[in-house]
Amino acid sequence: MRLLELTCDHFRCLNNLRFEPGPGLNVIRGDNAQGKTSILEAVLYAATSKSHRTSTESDLVQRGESIFRVSARVQRDAREVQTEIAWSHGAKRIKVNGVNQTRVSDLLGKINVVIFSPEDADLVRGSASNRRTFLDMELSQLHAHYLHALQRYRHAMRQRNEVLRLPNPDGALLDPWDAQLAEHGTMLMRERRRFVDQLAPLANAAYKAIADNEEMSVVYRSDTKEDVPLIEALAAARSSDIRQRMTTHGPHRDDLEIVVDDKAARQFASQGQQKTAGLAIKLAELELMRERTGEYPILLLDDVFAELDTSRSREVLTTIPPEVQCLITTTDFALTEELVARKPRVVEVTKGELTVS
Amino acid sequence: MLFESPSVDRLVEAFRRLPGVGKRTAERYALHVLSAPAEEARLISDAVRNARECITTCSQCCTLTETNPCGVCANPARDHSIICVVERPSGMMAIERGGAYRGLYHVLNGALNPLEGIGPDELTVERLVRRIEAGDVNEIIVATNATAEGEATALYLSKRLAPLGVSVSRIAHGVPMGGGLELADGLTLSHALQGRTRLG
Repeated sequence: MRLLELTCDHFRCLNNLRFEPGPGLNVIRGDNAQGKTSILEAVLYAATSKSHRTSTESDLVQRGESIFRVSARVQRDAREVQTEIAWSHGAKRIKVNGVNQTRVSDLLGKINVVIFSPEDADLVRGSASNRRTFLDMELSQLHAHYLHALQRYRHAMRQRNEVLRLPNPDGALLDPWDAQLAEHGTMLMRERRRFVDQLAPLANAAYKAIADNEEMSVVYRSDTKEDVPLIEALAAARSSDIRQRMTTHGPHRDDLEIVVDDKAARQFASQGQQKTAGLAIKLAELELMRERTGEYPILLLDDVFAELDTSRSREVLTTIPPEVQCLITTTDFALTEELVARKPRVVEVTKGELTVS
Repeated sequence: MLFESPSVDRLVEAFRRLPGVGKRTAERYALHVLSAPAEEARLISDAVRNARECITTCSQCCTLTETNPCGVCANPARDHSIICVVERPSGMMAIERGGAYRGLYHVLNGALNPLEGIGPDELTVERLVRRIEAGDVNEIIVATNATAEGEATALYLSKRLAPLGVSVSRIAHGVPMGGGLELADGLTLSHALQGRTRLG
């Protein structure tokens, strides 16, 4: 998949912007706060109608304006697809190939992107909920039935926790919700395990390539053993759940264990290792998406070289398959030597304006 | 609000209590009642008051009825050994419209919903238990809604009624008659696949 053209009006500091990246590597260069990240954010927004930096859309509109518009035209296989999202006074209008769409789900999957940004550091160094959110988002995009099960699971858990808050919770009132938690939770755990099993070897391969043969592993961790049905785990934990007045077993308590160089990455890895591990997971996702759609998604790397030494930075560039279209932001001029060898298209951003170098 | 009138405000608020009526619709109803002939307003208010005074709940199945017991419970031609359990009278009306069911009903008055503070005591579960203990009922069909709360209620009932020696079944979920598969959502289809029946 290849982004042919991005246009933005009043999106953050970008106005009247037209960006035509080349195939392969594109470097977006500029000082801090000039709009480099906003360009990547605009590509992500055109693909998903979501930003990685904010969930409040009014943050995205240029100061003093009330309307923004983002449009992306991409080449996929032999076809061209264009998406356009216009936001005006709090309402969002989505068009795909010029046709209005009523649901965000009709936009998803038209343009596939994978983004790695400083915010993704939380995937490795943040709390378990960051990793569960990552799994849930990836799997919800893969299958609609995952999202349904997730919503029903959460609903059943709110109901069960409400019963647990009663003065004397009656087992007969917990049973029905246990059954629903078990039905949906089992499916969530099965899909997550399957996804992690596919992701882990790809992430390890990417990590090894970047980190000079250091090993990385990703394992799905659950208090509920794989061979114990969730309904039995819930039954076994019932008296302690009643004491603690919360549901202590199930996919909402699980985690993704990331180990680098035989150390738990969250506590013991260096910042560079954590960053490399996060990037390796994203590169693995890139491969998984290609297996699923037959085409590499567009790769967006925001400030990827900060915290990485020169050798790792170089390896990042060689690890990205040459047929992937990649947009990289950087302030680091020293790195251009490494980049230049890959013959990238370079653009400069100054105060939201592009100049092609 | 359109007018500075407490009585109009009260009327709008009254309409807003109805299910599915928002502010706009409530204002439309209020305007209609006020601008139509006085006779029209009296017709509506009399109908509400009358119905409310005449209708009680059936002492047996707990449905809304003008006679007690209700027409279904009092009908000797119905099969008194089967009870179909529904959440609300509307469920009973839907099954009656189908015309294929010849047994009795039991209206629960809702479904288990801890978040809304609705437990078995808020429902008519114990009256159902007494009906089963008292009479010659031998089969219960649970026709609560296919929502999380309806399913939870069905499971609760199956366990609560198990010691009473009646057979308890759940209505099937599946694709609508005359409907193409492509119109059914994924969850309905997966339930329909799980609940498949053997041909021939």
